[in-house]
Amino acid sequence: MLSQREGRTKVLQSLRVMLVPGRYGLERWSFVLQRISGVAVSLYFIAHILETGNFVGGITVWTVPEYSFAEAAHQKSVELLKNPVFDVGLAVIGFLVALHTFNGLRLILTHFGFLVGKPGRPEPFEQPASLNARQRALFWLSISLAVFALLYTLDALMGVFRV
Amino acid sequence: MTEYVKFLVYRYRPEDGKKGVYADYDVPVKKGMTVLDGLIYIKENLDPTLSVRFSCRMAICGSCGMRVNGLEMLACHTQILGLRRKHIIVEPMRNFPLLRDLVTDMTPLFMKQKALKTWLIRRDELEQENPTIQYLQSEEELGKYLQFTYCIQCGLCYSACPVVSTFPAFLGPQSLMKVYRYFADSRDEVGRERVSFVDKFEGVWRCHFAGSCSAVCPKGVDPALAIQLLRREALK
Repeated sequence: MLSQREGRTKVLQSLRVMLVPGRYGLERWSFVLQRISGVAVSLYFIAHILETGNFVGGITVWTVPEYSFAEAAHQKSVELLKNPVFDVGLAVIGFLVALHTFNGLRLILTHFGFLVGKPGRPEPFEQPASLNARQRALFWLSISLAVFALLYTLDALMGVFRV
Repeated sequence: MTEYVKFLVYRYRPEDGKKGVYADYDVPVKKGMTVLDGLIYIKENLDPTLSVRFSCRMAICGSCGMRVNGLEMLACHTQILGLRRKHIIVEPMRNFPLLRDLVTDMTPLFMKQKALKTWLIRRDELEQENPTIQYLQSEEELGKYLQFTYCIQCGLCYSACPVVSTFPAFLGPQSLMKVYRYFADSRDEVGRERVSFVDKFEGVWRCHFAGSCSAVCPKGVDPALAIQLLRREALK
């Protein structure tokens, strides 16, 4: 049985292993980014539901209020969220959603056994078949699409590329 | 002039009841010297209390697995000068109970393998014990699993796996790879039942393809590939 201090150390150690990619290579970075983006998008989704739920009176109300109430609540939300910090936050969420989606599609293909190569006779210093160039190209494609989503969102919300 | 490399070695003594510390040693190195040679030099000349496990010194037995500069490696298979560092940090493997200094308890790895029956099983046990025929295989049949027979059970993949670190019940890359190795072997007669052993939450479904197991394997076994192929079988 672990003591409280030992338990805390073990949890911190596990989190460090999970969140620090170290020198294990690109696939470990993919794992870490997929984890972080998954948790961040889930938290955003909860916050988004709670915020938009205010338009109909919040989580404690079970009857739909009058339209004017929803309109006022919506206006209040728009005013609260209309600042550069939330805009940049939304752009980051756009990046994370795109990354999680496209990298997730790659991982689904991998989980079905596609694009992982075949067993063979390993040669010294040879790159493992499963960590192949197609996997890496798809990961970089996911990153590229996520960066595009980030820039697109920044432009849509803040007009950074508008003349 | 003799070149010196500083070894920062993780020291842990369970009887002290304290966290481990890093002790530093200056080791004279020359071309061809491995990290294990460096540790043996420390043990013989600088600090005889250092605990390190090794046996064959030629990357066959899998005893000297440890973390060198943050990456799992066999100490006997890692050239000191090849690391191109003046400081070498040597730590025990992760995800195993630490016994002392660089020595870990490999029981979790072996128990998981045993639970998954990772050995050749024929229906006729009597015939298997006293075979009267040869179990012939074609080159193609051999190619399906040969790569996975190179595993030396060093535990480096188990140590590198981030899922085992956060979820110790996960069967781990080595055990899952072994299951695929026997599943793909035409001489084995357990068949799809082997897939059912690992078709569960702590089995193939917990692998997130971080690929670290394959990245650190000193024998090119590629456990990540075996797990994905096993998962494809589980989906059939």
